[in-house]
Amino acid sequence: MNKFLFSMILTELEDAVGIENCSTRAIDKLTHSVDYFWLSRLFVDRGEKMPEADFVVSPKDAKEVSKVLKIANYYKIPVTTWGGGGGTQGGAIPVCGGIVLDTKRMNQIFDVNTDSMYIECGAGSIYKHIENAANEKGYATMHYPSSLNCSTVGGFLAHRGIGVVSTKYGKIDDMVLQMEVVLPNGDIIETSPAPKHAAGPDLNQIFIGSEGTLGIITKAQMRIYNQPEERRFRGFLFQDMHNAFLAGKELLQKIKPSVMRLYDETETGSIIKKIVGVEKKGAFMNIAIEGIAEIVAIEEKILLETFAKYGAEDLGSEYGEKWWKEKITFFYPGHALDLPWMFGTMDSIAPFDKIEQIYWAMKNAVESNFPMARFIAHFSHWYEWGAMIYDRFIVEEPPQDPVEALRLHQQIWNCGVRAALENGGVVNDHHGVGIKLGRLMKEQYGPAMQVFEGLKKQLDPNNILNPFKLGL
Amino acid sequence: MHFTEKSRKTIDACRFCWMCRHICPIGNATGMERNTARARALGLSMVARGVEEIGASIANVYECALCGACTKECLTAWDPILFTTEAKLEAAMAGEMPEYIVSMIENIERTGNAYGKTELCTRLSESIASLPTDAETVLFLGKNAMYRTCRQACAAIELLKKAGVSFTVLTDEPSSGWDLFFLAGGAEETRQTMKACAASLNSFKTVVAYDPNDARMFRRQFKEWGIGLNAEVKTFTEFTAELIASGKLTPKKSASVFTFQDPASLARDLEETVPAREILNACGTTLEMLMNGRDTNLAGNLLMAEYMPEAMTKVAVRRWEEAQRIGASILVTANPDDYAALETVKPEGCRLISIEEAVLECL
Repeated sequence: MNKFLFSMILTELEDAVGIENCSTRAIDKLTHSVDYFWLSRLFVDRGEKMPEADFVVSPKDAKEVSKVLKIANYYKIPVTTWGGGGGTQGGAIPVCGGIVLDTKRMNQIFDVNTDSMYIECGAGSIYKHIENAANEKGYATMHYPSSLNCSTVGGFLAHRGIGVVSTKYGKIDDMVLQMEVVLPNGDIIETSPAPKHAAGPDLNQIFIGSEGTLGIITKAQMRIYNQPEERRFRGFLFQDMHNAFLAGKELLQKIKPSVMRLYDETETGSIIKKIVGVEKKGAFMNIAIEGIAEIVAIEEKILLETFAKYGAEDLGSEYGEKWWKEKITFFYPGHALDLPWMFGTMDSIAPFDKIEQIYWAMKNAVESNFPMARFIAHFSHWYEWGAMIYDRFIVEEPPQDPVEALRLHQQIWNCGVRAALENGGVVNDHHGVGIKLGRLMKEQYGPAMQVFEGLKKQLDPNNILNPFKLGL
Repeated sequence: MHFTEKSRKTIDACRFCWMCRHICPIGNATGMERNTARARALGLSMVARGVEEIGASIANVYECALCGACTKECLTAWDPILFTTEAKLEAAMAGEMPEYIVSMIENIERTGNAYGKTELCTRLSESIASLPTDAETVLFLGKNAMYRTCRQACAAIELLKKAGVSFTVLTDEPSSGWDLFFLAGGAEETRQTMKACAASLNSFKTVVAYDPNDARMFRRQFKEWGIGLNAEVKTFTEFTAELIASGKLTPKKSASVFTFQDPASLARDLEETVPAREILNACGTTLEMLMNGRDTNLAGNLLMAEYMPEAMTKVAVRRWEEAQRIGASILVTANPDDYAALETVKPEGCRLISIEEAVLECL
């Protein structure tokens, strides 16, 4: 872009959001060029710059977002939406330059509505802040992912996030009532006033998970819940994962725990041993049940009876409570997987009749094709019909050259995710697609991909919103 | 750029970690990604790798209030303040400080305070002049109180007088070094300022530090840098609580409901949260904000208000919003930074007083 045109566009953006909220500072461009995607981290670790935006804008509301998108459409400049930057799939990286639209000035909490049990807030609100607002009134959001402290409401919605008590309270797409969205042409729309209706397809679900490719979420109503009277933990040890799946499936036909996490033998013997202190060999499973105390007591009885049938060793409440206390500690520097290691979370989801097979297929594919890689997994979000797999590969000595490392990284990802797809899984469970997995979307969806492509073409004919993400 | 090994490790730990984002009062108020410990670390990591010059990052370094919220929040004990203060020192050595910081340091050299003020307000001058000069206890007001919150400084003097404390305030009170430490990190000039301060205070038995930033310097930085300060250092809140406990001050309990704004340096650096609540509970009752005690959110920073006033106004507005959300009606401060910031954006129907004013009203 020539200097003259650059300056013209800059002044238009400044006019749209205010001079102080439109930046070309080096620090702003740098900090919006690296998200939690391993490859972006690797590149800057090696002293290589990631693709940077030309402009970083921070609009305060949907009207200002609309103005920015109209400018971007006119000049045909890419717009990448940035919330907390905590995504692991490179979804927030401005790979084509242009504009990064940071949502965090849209962080107002408009209403803590205890009549209808939701909080209406700007999509740039940090989720921890809406949790605080709920807590101040004696309620809770029940959305507790490891990124609670750092990610935004819009970020969780855009990538279909999930928290650790999802089995009882649901995924982020279960927690939203209504949203305000700015379309690529600048039109501001609202989804239906309530989510459960027969007025056509659910507009919420078109934009949830669209990763900023179809519109920009600017406001949302997120559900809040009563704080449980009681939350009880119980740890179990299974000698084989097959019985753990059978026990989990049977339990879910009877009651809904909040936390339900099964760790394979490798992860039990490494991370769980280190953080929670489980020394015994086997597959550790942590269950929490919560709600009204009398019901919790009954559910605990059902839990113990059900798991005893499948030979689970009851480890009592200590490990589960320790896990709850440390549930975020896993993600701090020093405990989290970090450079110089190469690593990735290839989470997938499937019905019970396929999930175990997917686990073994992914494990075998990664370990046999890449002997330098370790494979660990847990199953942390369960439904009456199936569960997700949170599996990770770790390479302790990746190539020093960033491009060589990128090549190996992509090969392992292709191998692992294709093994999941071939055995009935999906591309991803709750981290999204971003630039990392876009190519594999077409492999999963086949001709169904044209539905997404049709939406994209109609809503964003100039392809300005988050290009090369989501396979679009 | 010559970061210490510890700083380098901290930079590399923090550059990809967002776990303290929610707690940064500046970032929360401005909504700017650069106002996070992670962003500062990422910028400095590129400087450490020789990819960027310090000039590209240094203005952002000065957007940190050193309030310690991120340090307190880190479950694996990384301390972003470490590399932030080192970066300031390095910038000073390299002649890369922002112009507005250089200007404030020149003010300190010229007038002894960062604001370039040469005269105290008349009331404070008279109040100090009325005190004896040969007491064993000195009330150390600090530059912020002397030049930015004169009324509260006078109230602090009045309160100690009413308690019958024999004390003085130095007419030529030196700097504790806080302002230079904030602006230039651990420079030699900071050390010399601290040494000069220690020399002027060592003739006293007790130093009552009105500003928790000064108390923090006396209790932490002086010790860390081996600068001998023989006098016993008490915070103003600690000293006042003792006066109440010993019956030298006898406030009457009122129907007032106070919400205390814990100063960050008092609550986190000095781990003092109880005395202020003892004082306020003697005067009325207290209602807590969600983020209180060691989890407090900073409401203001007078030095930063000199070069980023709009951002600091947003910080104060946000803290008022948090107070209002829990129904607070009287917000009580215990440091000049918070008071000055909150005063400028006080919402209608809310009241702001300093802790000494709260006690004086109940005597």
